Amino acid sequence: MSTQVRPRAATARPRTALAAVATAPDYRRNFARRARLSDLLVVALWASGAAAAALFLASGGVDQFTSVAETVTSIGIVSGLVGTDFILVMLVLAARIPLIDRTIGHDRAIAVHRSLGKPALYLLLAHGALLLTGYGLSSGINPIAEIGPMLSLPDMPLAFIALGLMIAVVVSSLIAVRRRFSYEGWHLVHLLSYVSVAFALPHQLSVGGVLADGTLQRVYWIALYVVALGSIVTFRFAEPLVSSLRHRMRVAAVTEIAPGVSTIQLAGNDLRGLEASGGQFFIWRFWTPRTWWHSHPISLSAMPTASSARITVRNLGKGSAQLTTIPVGTRVSIEGPYGLFSDAARTSPKLAIIAAGIGVTPVRALLEQASFAPGEATILLRASTAEETYHWDEIRAIAAAKGATCYSMIGHRPRGVDSWMTAADYERGVTLQSAFPDLADSDVFLCGPTAWLDLIEADVHSSGIRPQQIHAERFDW
Amino acid sequence: MRTRAILGSILASTSVLIVGYQAGVSVTTSDGTSLSLPVDAATNGTAGGTNAGTDATTDSSTGSTSSSTPGSDTAAAAPTTAGPADGTYTGSSVSTRFGNVQVAVTIASGSITDVTALQLTDEDGRSVQISNRAAPILRSEVLSSQSAQVSNVSGATYTTDAYLSSLQSALDQAGA
Repeated sequence: MSTQVRPRAATARPRTALAAVATAPDYRRNFARRARLSDLLVVALWASGAAAAALFLASGGVDQFTSVAETVTSIGIVSGLVGTDFILVMLVLAARIPLIDRTIGHDRAIAVHRSLGKPALYLLLAHGALLLTGYGLSSGINPIAEIGPMLSLPDMPLAFIALGLMIAVVVSSLIAVRRRFSYEGWHLVHLLSYVSVAFALPHQLSVGGVLADGTLQRVYWIALYVVALGSIVTFRFAEPLVSSLRHRMRVAAVTEIAPGVSTIQLAGNDLRGLEASGGQFFIWRFWTPRTWWHSHPISLSAMPTASSARITVRNLGKGSAQLTTIPVGTRVSIEGPYGLFSDAARTSPKLAIIAAGIGVTPVRALLEQASFAPGEATILLRASTAEETYHWDEIRAIAAAKGATCYSMIGHRPRGVDSWMTAADYERGVTLQSAFPDLADSDVFLCGPTAWLDLIEADVHSSGIRPQQIHAERFDW
Repeated sequence: MRTRAILGSILASTSVLIVGYQAGVSVTTSDGTSLSLPVDAATNGTAGGTNAGTDATTDSSTGSTSSSTPGSDTAAAAPTTAGPADGTYTGSSVSTRFGNVQVAVTIASGSITDVTALQLTDEDGRSVQISNRAAPILRSEVLSSQSAQVSNVSGATYTTDAYLSSLQSALDQAGA
């Protein structure tokens, strides 16, 4: 390869003296706005939890804590309210609401969604246990014996089922358990969370006094449900359906570009109207009898034109292997575009892009769309073997046309050392700083397989740049 | 950035909780007026207050009882010389945050022979369950003590207070 990275010994590249181009977006202000919105979302999350507890206080105040039985019962009710609020927040986070996606990105929304799962379940389990104990104490029977009378209340059998379903949903999502499931198996169990949320609602409205008929609390609570389920229906079902019908995408061509790697060319109507940014992904569903039940999150590997779009897939699993043999003409439905791995996440004028293996695909589209002045972008492409240099020719052509520097590194990682580089470059003394002298003023976009990405992300973090300058996308599928 | 989110969250959550607490205090104090009157001082002064507060409910919800009560009242009032007059008396309807409570008391030969719950706390499923458990206990305690001075049924404080308060107002009518 002609473009080798300079080792540390080489003299530093002269800094581009060019001032920021007048038309360049104000990255600092864009980021400040996103950060403000993101903080606001955090505040809203905690405030909604507090509001759930406040509903209880508003309905009876603190004198519901006068006896032991009452105190246990009251804490039980509060934990049920807060736990349910968290579940509804989780629905909102998983609804792929455009505002949330643009603010914190799909990845972080799902990460927060995941981190709420266990606390929410613990609160709901505590709700059940504390109420059985509290009610048992006040009627002088043990909590287990209290189950009978509880089940005799209207809507309570449904509530018990709801809790059972929620336990199944959360347990099936624990990392250790989830590994044993196929994605589809896990997803099927996960869909039960909708049933659980629906089954839990009647007892909240009829058994407890907090959300009694005609109270403001009841209005607020129902509004929460409407917002959570409404955003799921709107953004997970209605919007993708409308978008799929509007753009009418079909497979136009499948071309193998390397062993096990194919580009899928798609034709459709008004594909610029998708308003996808380079680096974003869609969730694709290919409507053949073998593949319709499997959806694939895949990044665009080129910016869409009015009538065509392109993705590049590597057969990493059973599902994506079938994609490389998909017949031309297959109908395609889409959800998206999603993700903040794009120009929208920029915070700095310069660009440092590092991609490995199939991770080059979003980077290819990102580079095509990214705004930068000549000399402001540096790309480092990484592959283990010369066969894995997918789209490198295209990336080099774009880099040349837009005035970006493009380095490459081909070879295996050094043995016994944790490095993201090739053994040869590692021994020559190449460092992140020698490849990217302007790192401090750059947004760093990283994309590649998880194990490699963890190494380079750690290296970038230790370089001391601000966390918001780092944008990473892991390719696990 | 994170500091701002944390401080904002603390501030917002605290404010929300304070608003909830304030709303709760106003609920309990407004309930308190109807709940404080029972048992201990259920005589004229406070009882008048309750009736004023619950007139509408009594009139509309107990059409049959209010028409029968005066009848039995007058029928029973004459023969008795002292103590409660025989007959059935309907107590005032006492409102709690779990629903209204109203009882009727039957007096024969100067003693309480029956207490019937016309309405019990029924705002929600749990309240119905509590009422159904508390009512028979309260009835038997009242019958054995022959007064509204009976102990609280644990876990059914609101129901007990309102039940005894309604009972006391019925006994007042009977002149017990």
